[in-house]
Amino acid sequence: MSFRTKLLLIVLLTIFASVSVVAYGVTHYTRAAFEDMDAQRTEALVAQFNKEFAQRGEEVAQQVRNIVNSDITLRMAMDLARPNVDQSLYVSDANGAAQDHNLDFVEFVNHEGTLVSSAQYRARVGYKNDWVLANKDWADAPAFLRKEELPDGVELALTVVRTLSGGNEKNLYIIGGRRLDQNFLASLVLPVGMRALLYRNLEQTFVASALTDVNGSVQQADRFQPLIEQIQKQPQSLVKTINWSADAAEAETFHEIPLMGRNHELLGVLLVGSSQRELVLLTRRIIKIAGAVAAAALFVGFLVSFWISARITKPVEDLAEGAREVASGRWDTRIDVHGSDEIGQLAKAFNEMTETLATQKERLVQTERVAAWRELARRLAHELRNPLFPMQITIENLQKAKQLDAKQFLEVFHESTATLKAELANLNSIVSRFSDFSKMPAPQFVRVNVNEALRNAVRLFEPQFNEVGKPTITPELFLTDPLPDIDADPDLLHRAFQNLVLNALDAMPAGGTLTLRTLERDGNIRIEVADTGKGLTQEECSRLFTPYYTTKLQGTGLGLAIVQSVVSDHRGTISVTSEEGRGTTFRIELPQRQVAGSVSSPEADTETKTSPQTLAAASD
Amino acid sequence: MHPRRGGTLRVELRAPTVSFDPREWKVGSTEFATDEKLGALVFDRLLMLDNYGRFQPQLATEWSHDAGFKKWQFTLREGVKFSDGSPLIAADVLAALEPLLPSGQQISAAGNGIIIQSSAGMPDLLEELASGRYFVYRVQPDGTLMGPGPFFVAGSLPGTGGAGDSANSTSDSSRTVAVRAAAKPAHLRFRANEETWSGRPFLDAIEVTLGAPPLEQLFDLQLSKADLVELSPELVRRAMQENLRVWTSSAATLYGLRFDQGEPLAAEEKLREAFSLSLDRQTMASVLLQKQAEPASALLPQWLSGYAFLFNMQTNLERARELRAALPTKAATSAEPLRLRVDAPGDLPKLLGERVAVNARQAAILVQVVNRGLLPTANSLSAPSSDPAAAVHLFAWHYSTLSPRLELDSFVNFFGLSGSNGGEISSIDPEQLYARERKLLEERRVLPLVTMPEYVGLGANVRDWMPARWGQWRLADVWLDVPESASAKPADPQNQGVPVAPPSAFPGVKP
Repeated sequence: MSFRTKLLLIVLLTIFASVSVVAYGVTHYTRAAFEDMDAQRTEALVAQFNKEFAQRGEEVAQQVRNIVNSDITLRMAMDLARPNVDQSLYVSDANGAAQDHNLDFVEFVNHEGTLVSSAQYRARVGYKNDWVLANKDWADAPAFLRKEELPDGVELALTVVRTLSGGNEKNLYIIGGRRLDQNFLASLVLPVGMRALLYRNLEQTFVASALTDVNGSVQQADRFQPLIEQIQKQPQSLVKTINWSADAAEAETFHEIPLMGRNHELLGVLLVGSSQRELVLLTRRIIKIAGAVAAAALFVGFLVSFWISARITKPVEDLAEGAREVASGRWDTRIDVHGSDEIGQLAKAFNEMTETLATQKERLVQTERVAAWRELARRLAHELRNPLFPMQITIENLQKAKQLDAKQFLEVFHESTATLKAELANLNSIVSRFSDFSKMPAPQFVRVNVNEALRNAVRLFEPQFNEVGKPTITPELFLTDPLPDIDADPDLLHRAFQNLVLNALDAMPAGGTLTLRTLERDGNIRIEVADTGKGLTQEECSRLFTPYYTTKLQGTGLGLAIVQSVVSDHRGTISVTSEEGRGTTFRIELPQRQVAGSVSSPEADTETKTSPQTLAAASD
Repeated sequence: MHPRRGGTLRVELRAPTVSFDPREWKVGSTEFATDEKLGALVFDRLLMLDNYGRFQPQLATEWSHDAGFKKWQFTLREGVKFSDGSPLIAADVLAALEPLLPSGQQISAAGNGIIIQSSAGMPDLLEELASGRYFVYRVQPDGTLMGPGPFFVAGSLPGTGGAGDSANSTSDSSRTVAVRAAAKPAHLRFRANEETWSGRPFLDAIEVTLGAPPLEQLFDLQLSKADLVELSPELVRRAMQENLRVWTSSAATLYGLRFDQGEPLAAEEKLREAFSLSLDRQTMASVLLQKQAEPASALLPQWLSGYAFLFNMQTNLERARELRAALPTKAATSAEPLRLRVDAPGDLPKLLGERVAVNARQAAILVQVVNRGLLPTANSLSAPSSDPAAAVHLFAWHYSTLSPRLELDSFVNFFGLSGSNGGEISSIDPEQLYARERKLLEERRVLPLVTMPEYVGLGANVRDWMPARWGQWRLADVWLDVPESASAKPADPQNQGVPVAPPSAFPGVKP
C-alpha cells in the first residue's frame, strides 16, 4: 500500500471516527434524556394512579359510611344482634344497598362471620366470610385491594370495611367495594405515547384475559406473560421492554408496579407502557444526519487529503524513483528539490549523495581502468619479455659469431635463426590468445545435457589424472540423473568447463580430489567444480574473474574471465567460495530449458542476472 | 256484597310468549302454566276438579266407566256453542282430544258423547281430563283455534317499540302470541263471551300484558296499573310488607338437577352421590329463597303424590368429600370443572345454580355454571342446541296434571330416565308409584332441589279470586269491585261494574 493511500486512509478514518463519536455522543445523551423524561412521566402516572386509587378508596369509604348510617342498616344490625333471628329477611338488602350507593360490591356479615347478604354473590349467603373478624377496628381502615369472588369468576375490588354495632357487642360488618378494571384506567390522564394496563392477578398462572387496558382486552396479551410471571415470583417494580415487531420503533418499555393486598399478596400489576417510537425515530434521524455529514465530510476529506497527500508524497515518490534509478545504475540521477522542509532537505541530501556516488564511481572506474592497464601492461611485458630475452641473446650470439669462421658462423647462424623463428612464433601465439579473448563468439543455443558436457570436459584430462611421475588426482562425479536439459552453446560450454577443470588441476600440484557435481535447484541447474588445493584468499576471490589477473606463474589471466563471459552469455551466474588450505569451489547456476511456447530467447533477454553471491560481475 | 258485572281485569305476566294451541304446549315446562291459564279463558274441559276435590261437570255432564276402568263414556252438554256461535258436537271433542291423549288411549264418538278406552285400566282418567292440555277446541280453516270458553281473544296489541312483535293478531282467536325479549310488552285482550254455556262472565274483558318484568309488575300493582300480577318469589316478602294481597298456590314448579347421561363425568355414580350429598336444600329454601320455596326430596309434591314426605335427602358434606376423594384418578384429578347449565329461564334458577356450585365446592367438586341462551322460543326444560354441552342441567318442571301417575310418566319420558314406560299406561297404585320414584331417586340421575309455588299479587278491587290450589286460575268467576263513583263515570266503560246475580250453571266453581 502506497504512502499516499495510507495517508488518505488515515485522514478518512479520522474523519469517520470523529463523526461517529459525535453521533454516538448525541445519540447517547438523547437516549439518556428520553429515559429521564420517560422515568419522570412514569413516576407522574404512578403518582396519579395512587392518587386516583386513594380518591376512589375514599369514595367507596364514603358510600360504605352512608350505608352504615342508613336506618335500614341500623335496623338490620340491631335485628341480627338478637338471638334466633331470621337472617333470610336480609338476603336481598345488599343488592339494594349496592344500587342505592353505586357500589359494585356490598356484603353484610354478621358478628359470627356469616354472610347475611351479598349483592355480588347471593348464592354464598349463609357461608362464612370471617376474614372480616380478623380486624376488630375497621373504623379508619383505608380502602384496600381484595380478590372478590363472584359466581362467574374472580374480580379485583377496591374494598372498604366498616362495622356497625347492633348491641350486645355484636357487630354487623359492612363490606363495600368497586371493581378495579379498565374504567379505573380510563380516569387516568395519559401523556401521548404512554398507556396504562392493569393485570388482575387473580389466578395462580398467567391469564391473558386478566390483562386489560382502557379499551378492555389487550392485543397480544400473551407477550406480557414473562413480565407478569417475573413479578409474580418477585413482587417488586420492574422495567421491561417488549419488541412488538422487528421494527425497533414498535418497542414499548413497561414499568411494572405491583399492587398488593392487605396481607401483602400480589393482587394486581399496574403496567405503564411508554412507546419507544419517538426515541427510535429521533435516534434514526440523528444517525441519518450523522451519516450524511460523514459522507460529505469523507468526500470533502477525500478531495482535500488527496490534494494534501499528493503535495506531501510527490517529493517522496520522486525520491523513491531516484533511488530506483540509482539502483539501476544511473548514479548521476538528480531529483527536484521543493522547499526547505524535511522532505526538501531529504531531496537535497539525495542529490548530494548521488553526486558523491557518481564522483566516487568515476574515480573507481578510472582506478580500475588504470589497474587493469597496469596489469595488462605487466602481463604483456611479462609475456613478451619471455620470448624477447632469448631473441636478444640469440642476436648477440649472432653478432659475436661474425668473428667465427664461416662454418661455425653458418652453424651459429642457423641455430640463431631457428631460435628467432621459434620465439617469434611464441610472440605470435601470445598475441593470438589476447586476440581470441577480445573476439569471443556469440553463443549458438541448442539443447544440451549438462552432465554429458561435464563428462566430455573431464574425459579430456583423464591422461593427466594418473600421469606417471606426477601426484594423482582423483576425479569424483556426483551427477544428478536425470537432469533437465538447458539451452546452451555446447562449444562455449565445453570451453568453460574445460577452463574450470584445468584451473582445478593447476590448483592441486600436489594431487587431490576433483569433485564435479550437478543438481537441480529452484528451476536452475547448478554445476559445482571443486578442488582440494590450497585455496584462495578473500582478496584473490574478489579479483579472480578480472581479465588478465592470475595467481599462477604461467597463466594469462583469461581462463576464468572466459568462463564468466560464457556463463553470462547463458544468463547464468558464477560464484566462488574458497577456504584456505581446504580448496576452492566454483558454482555455476544456469537456467533450465523453457518449455515450448514460453521459451524466451536468451539473446532477447539481454539482462545479465547475477546472484548476490557472485563476487565478480560479468560486465566487469 | 254482590258481584258486579263489567270492568276490565288487567293482568301482567312474565312469559314473553303464549300459545293458544294445546297441541303445542310442552308438558312440564314453565311456559305451560301461562299457556294453560290463558287457554282456560278461551277453551273448556270436559270436567273440572273443585277445591273440595270433587269432579264437577263442564262440557261433559255425565260420565261412567266399566269395572276395570278400561272404558269411559262421557255425555256432552247440550247447547254449547263456540265463540262464533256454532254448536259443539262430539266430533269437535274427538278431534280436539285425540291428538292430546297418550298413546294407548283411544277416543271415539258415540251419539252425543264420546268414549275413551284402553287395554289397561284408567282409574285416574278424570284427574287427567280435569287438568293439563285436555281442552276442547276447534281448528278453523285458517289454522287458528277457537273454543267455547267464557272469553275469546279480541285482539293483540303489540308493543309500540317494535314492529312485528306479535306473531298473530287475528281478531277472535289465535294460536301463538310471542313477544321478543327486547321489545316492549305486548298486550292481549279477551272479551267476555256472551254466548258461553256457563253464562256471561262478570268481567267485560281481560287485558293481558306479556313479558312484564317482575319488579315492574309489582310497581304496577302498587300503582293500580294492574289488577293481577305474577309475583316472583324474591318480591313476595316485599309485596307483603307493603300490604298487597298475595295468593300462594301449592308447590307448582320443581327445580332440580339432571345429569346428562352422555357426559363421562355424569356417569360416575359416586360423583353423583357426592354431588347430591353436598346439596343444602334447606338453606336454599329458607335463606336464599327467603322461605318462599320448600326443600324438595321427591319428584312429585306431597299434594300430588301423598308420599313425598317419605323421601328425605340429607346434606352430608363429610360423606360427600369421602366419595369425592374415592373417585377414580381420572375423574378426581380432572382440572376441568363440572359444567352446570341452567336450562330454566330467569334469575331464580341462575341463583339456584350458583348455590349448587357453592355447595358442591364444599365437597371439593368444582362446578362451572353456564346460563342458557336467551331465545324467546327456548323451552324452559332444554336449552338451545347451540349452548355448550354440560354434565349437569338445572331444570324447572311445572306440574301440569292432577294425576301423579301421568305426571311421573311425563317426567320420566321427557328426561329419558330409566323406568320409562314408552307411553304405556303405568300403574296408579301409590305403592308402585312410590317404589318407582324411589328407584329413580336412588339412581341420582335427577336430584330434586326445591319446589316453588306460584305467587299472585292481587289488586284491592279483585273479588272472588278462588283459583285451584294447584294453580288453575278461574278468572270467569272474578269480578271487580269498582266504587260507585267510578262506575257512574261513562268515560271508562270497561272498568264499570254492574251488579248481577251470580251465574248458576256451575255450582261447583262458584263461591
